[in-house]
Amino acid sequence: MRLRSLFLLVAVLGLTVIVASACGGSSKKKGAAPSGGKSGGTMILLAKAAPSGSPDPQIDYTLQEWQLLIFTHDGLVAFKRTSGVEGTKIVPDLATSVPTPTDGGKTFTFHLRSGIKFSNGKTLKASDVRFTFERLFKIGQSPNAGTWYNVIVGGDACVKKPKSCSLAKGVVANDATNTVTFHLTRGDPEFLDKLAVPFAFILPAGTPNKEVQLPPPGTGPYYFAQYNPTKQIRLVRNKYFHVWSSDAQPAGNPDVILMKFGLSVEAEVTEVENGQADWVFDTIPADRLNELSSKYGNQIHINPLTAVWYVAMNVRIPPFNSLKARQGVNFATDRNALVKIYGGPKLATPSCQILPPNFPGYKPYCPYTANPSSSGTWTAPDFAKGQQLVNASGTKGATVKVNTDTADVDKAIGLYFVGLLNKLGYHAQLQALSPAIQYPYCQNSKNKVQFCWSSWYQDYPAASDFLNVLLGCKSFVPGSNASPNIAEFCNQPIQAQMNKALNTGIFQPAAANNQWAAIDRAVTNQAPWVTLFNPKYLNFVSKRVKGFQFSPQWYFLIDQASVK
Amino acid sequence: MLAFTVRRLVGLVAVMFALSVLVFLIFFATPGIDPARQMAGRNPSPDTIKNIRHEFGLDRPLPVRYALMMEHMFISRDLISYGSHTRVVPQIISATPVTLSLVVGAAVLWVLFSIVFGVAAAVLRGTFFDPLLMVLALIGISMPVFWLGEVANLITQDKLHGSVFSWVPPPGYTPLTQNPWQWFLHLLIPWLTLSVLYIGFYARVLRANLIETENEDYVRTARAKGISERRVLLRHTLRTSMITFVSLFGLDFGVLVAGGALLTEVVFGLPGVGQLTYNSLTGLDLPVIMTTVVYAAFFITLASAAVDLVYAWLDPRVRPT
Amino acid sequence: MAVFEPEAEVAIRDAEETGGDVIGRSPWALAGRRLVRNKLALAAFVLFLLIVAVSFAAPLYARHVAHTDPFVSNLSGSFQQNGKTVQVIQQGTGKLGLGETPIGPTWQAKYLLGADEQGRDVAARVLYGGRASLEIGIGSAALACLLATVFGLIAGFFGGWTDSFLSRAMDLVWAFPVYLLAISLATVLLTAPNGLDLGIVRVGASSLWIPLLIIGLIYVPYVYRPVRGQVLSLRQKEFVEAAIAQGAGSFRLIFREILPNVASTVIVLLPLMIATTILTESALSYLSIGVQAPQASWGTIIDDGQALLYTRPWVAIAPGIMIVLTVLALNVFGDGLRDALDPRSKVRMK
Repeated sequence: MRLRSLFLLVAVLGLTVIVASACGGSSKKKGAAPSGGKSGGTMILLAKAAPSGSPDPQIDYTLQEWQLLIFTHDGLVAFKRTSGVEGTKIVPDLATSVPTPTDGGKTFTFHLRSGIKFSNGKTLKASDVRFTFERLFKIGQSPNAGTWYNVIVGGDACVKKPKSCSLAKGVVANDATNTVTFHLTRGDPEFLDKLAVPFAFILPAGTPNKEVQLPPPGTGPYYFAQYNPTKQIRLVRNKYFHVWSSDAQPAGNPDVILMKFGLSVEAEVTEVENGQADWVFDTIPADRLNELSSKYGNQIHINPLTAVWYVAMNVRIPPFNSLKARQGVNFATDRNALVKIYGGPKLATPSCQILPPNFPGYKPYCPYTANPSSSGTWTAPDFAKGQQLVNASGTKGATVKVNTDTADVDKAIGLYFVGLLNKLGYHAQLQALSPAIQYPYCQNSKNKVQFCWSSWYQDYPAASDFLNVLLGCKSFVPGSNASPNIAEFCNQPIQAQMNKALNTGIFQPAAANNQWAAIDRAVTNQAPWVTLFNPKYLNFVSKRVKGFQFSPQWYFLIDQASVK
Repeated sequence: MLAFTVRRLVGLVAVMFALSVLVFLIFFATPGIDPARQMAGRNPSPDTIKNIRHEFGLDRPLPVRYALMMEHMFISRDLISYGSHTRVVPQIISATPVTLSLVVGAAVLWVLFSIVFGVAAAVLRGTFFDPLLMVLALIGISMPVFWLGEVANLITQDKLHGSVFSWVPPPGYTPLTQNPWQWFLHLLIPWLTLSVLYIGFYARVLRANLIETENEDYVRTARAKGISERRVLLRHTLRTSMITFVSLFGLDFGVLVAGGALLTEVVFGLPGVGQLTYNSLTGLDLPVIMTTVVYAAFFITLASAAVDLVYAWLDPRVRPT
Repeated sequence: MAVFEPEAEVAIRDAEETGGDVIGRSPWALAGRRLVRNKLALAAFVLFLLIVAVSFAAPLYARHVAHTDPFVSNLSGSFQQNGKTVQVIQQGTGKLGLGETPIGPTWQAKYLLGADEQGRDVAARVLYGGRASLEIGIGSAALACLLATVFGLIAGFFGGWTDSFLSRAMDLVWAFPVYLLAISLATVLLTAPNGLDLGIVRVGASSLWIPLLIIGLIYVPYVYRPVRGQVLSLRQKEFVEAAIAQGAGSFRLIFREILPNVASTVIVLLPLMIATTILTESALSYLSIGVQAPQASWGTIIDDGQALLYTRPWVAIAPGIMIVLTVLALNVFGDGLRDALDPRSKVRMK
């Protein structure tokens, strides 16, 4: 509840540079056992509640379930199962290789590996692939059917009329030759990324074309033996599994993986401290951090995330339709104070710009600090300068509603800004809404939200994920609850630059990244956001857990760790 | 009797109906609420939202939506939560034993202790102990249960966890069927916390009733007949005094089973009906809210009818209404 | 939760009041004399007044003693303590330097009880919180008693369908999920562009009127039941029947004969109701659906303190102690008041 955003993996469109570079080398180096520790035993994971969303792999959209689905199911391609930047590479999974698109990027042909079986004993066939993609539309409520997969020929018609969906022309499957050919309506350089996430994991033909309460059989080393949202999820070994690519789907270590629900987070932490359980999914309570860091330091793993926390200022309504007012707030914001709210400098890094560190196109840039320097780091607020800019903007005295949700940390951030804006001369009030409605509420331009807290976690690494999706002209849909450009920012020259970078990215990833870095600066100068910080992820595991790996894509690689 | 039962049944259904309609209307009158958007995830296309709206009947008129929801709740019993997309009825069914464990245990404690304290205070009237017990009871009544729970957590989980209270497990719940001893350990502190208020309250009620009854004619007669003080107390005074006690108990028990133990469940991390209610409210998850409201209304009205019935049976002077 | 005692459904005893020295005095004067003799009840009343006075002096304390604005976050702030500069929020001292801990009690004018997670002075907030808690508690109890008296009189006096209807309506309120009402109302008010415009008054999202009205409404049945019961029994008393026989009108009867008798019941209930509503307000605020930030009440401060329970327990303990003291004082005083207005149980103690 506290860190809502971690439950919501981010849906993002954009060109992926990494894809292009990964396409070439589908390496098959080591087929060895996973690093560190032995196999066997039962790994116990603790979470307050079952994944929100749905048990159905084609509907669920949470990190919590995706972290399990990656080792119960496979896509045609996969993100390499490893830590570090390597973990963002696309490698072949059910397909024998990552295809190079033909027909101007509109056709992808995959050859399936033979002899792969689902956990129900059925052998994987090409027709299962077509079935999977038709089901994605037929269930009618897959979140990204209409934003990611409608690029497949016939997809748009399927979104309109899910029940009668047919992808006969879009996904051509040939069981005899074991090949699948995708036909797209336009060139889509990030299509492979879309195939590597759980929505596109292959399910056996015959799975009901409606939402299921237990994830159907998959091809991974484990399968869902039990899914009881009030008690536990139980994953056991799939006896039909054999390793075909340790990059894409290595064998797992524990024999059984249990995810138990219903404890309070306090109790979860205590159980892991005592060795009764192995990992806490939820955010660790702030008042336990000191204790953990002094007594259980070597059971803690902290990894930076490619994510950003920000406050969007609506550039279309007063007072933040004034550039000076927006820049003034940016100068006056004490990002250290906000980092303290989040848990301190070890758990977050202040930032001024849109793109997070370690991201394609990232070049450190921070104009909104005391003594700006070429290092681009934020050092301290410059309140005097901020006040001066706000005074010059002539917006003093305006009423501002600071919108956040009611989760502790988010509300505290809201309260900080209420204080700051009042000090700058505005009349600020807090508007803390239920997490269930806050994000859509901010998006709808009818609600005229002036100042809205939000956060964004990458789905796969591409600069446009942040810049074009959150601040592009097309992402602002007036009067809609689905309009991710909360700042309502649309700058035509910058948009032209973005379109250019998108095109460049198909052929020249490095050049495109330089263009994105310039766009990042340009947007930051326009100050549609107050960027607060880039969060880090704290994992707390039990003493017996060995071989902890953190993938930038899937976070803690659960089945690769060992409890023996 | 039959007429009474029928009337109360009709009343029960009417209250449940009225409440569910009210809750339903309040929910949809709340601005910003868009269940289809809520279910659609982070960045859906308008078509997907439309599909979901259609799939869940959210594009139908309000009365139809209400009827559909009731159909899914009572007849096909496959009502789906907006938040988790899982069935609601099994959630309530699995939360009920937790709440029952908490409330029954606390009820046993509060009935036992309040009778002991109430009788002791009445018998020791005129001594130093009566006012002492009554002040203690008042203090018990005056403490917010969630605060008491926090202080209990502070002492048993932190300050004295290293010594006296090392046996206290971390807050949470273990089912009785899984491990009875752990079940007991997990619930002991919550039981005590929840029962403190009721012990104080019932002890005071009982004391007052005992004193009142002592002066009734039939008690005087019994005394005059030379029956021992103890027999008078147990056979006559206490029995009559229990009428109020029992009826109060019925109401409080009903309210607690219906989710009234919410605060205790939240403080001690017990996944019962109260916790479920609270989570569904903060998540604005209408199907779960509706189910818990109907569940609660059922128990509360049922308890109130049961109390009237028992009352009439214990005290024939009162006609059930 | 039923907190006040239903045997406070006191039967009426003025008519029974006999005994040499009391003849010729009004029952109210007698009650006053009895109350003054009850030292414990008086002490409790004084304690309650003291808490009220201290709470309403909150702005003075914040401005002149603690020199702080307890409604503004002070995350990066520092202050002078014993000649040294001290950070209000301190970084964890563990190996990894995790966790941010606000300063604990200094037992000095500044940060007497320490700071909360946002670096605000807890002592000043507890005083401000008391003001909100008391306003809501007293206001909603008065509202509940007022409405309940009106409905109880009508139901008890007219009986029949009116009675059935009102009583079922009370069942509805009784079973209504108060938390839902609180959350929905708060959401409505938060999302409405200018708060709720009631013509005369405009209610903003963080207005104390919202918890006050909600709590006031849900406690109507608690007072309604004893009042109705008493009216029902009064109707069968000789003096009322006599009045009816003399052809007295309904209004005359209600106001001249029944209301004065019911009034003492309601007055006895009032302090006990305030105790109950203060507890309820704290519960709602603890669940963060009562008083809304940036306003504070004892309940919201306990809620803030929960996240700091093991490191800075005073944040949660201090407002809790204030609640216990206030509610206890009200209960003891309420007891004394009942004994004074309804001395029957004392008379029988002989």
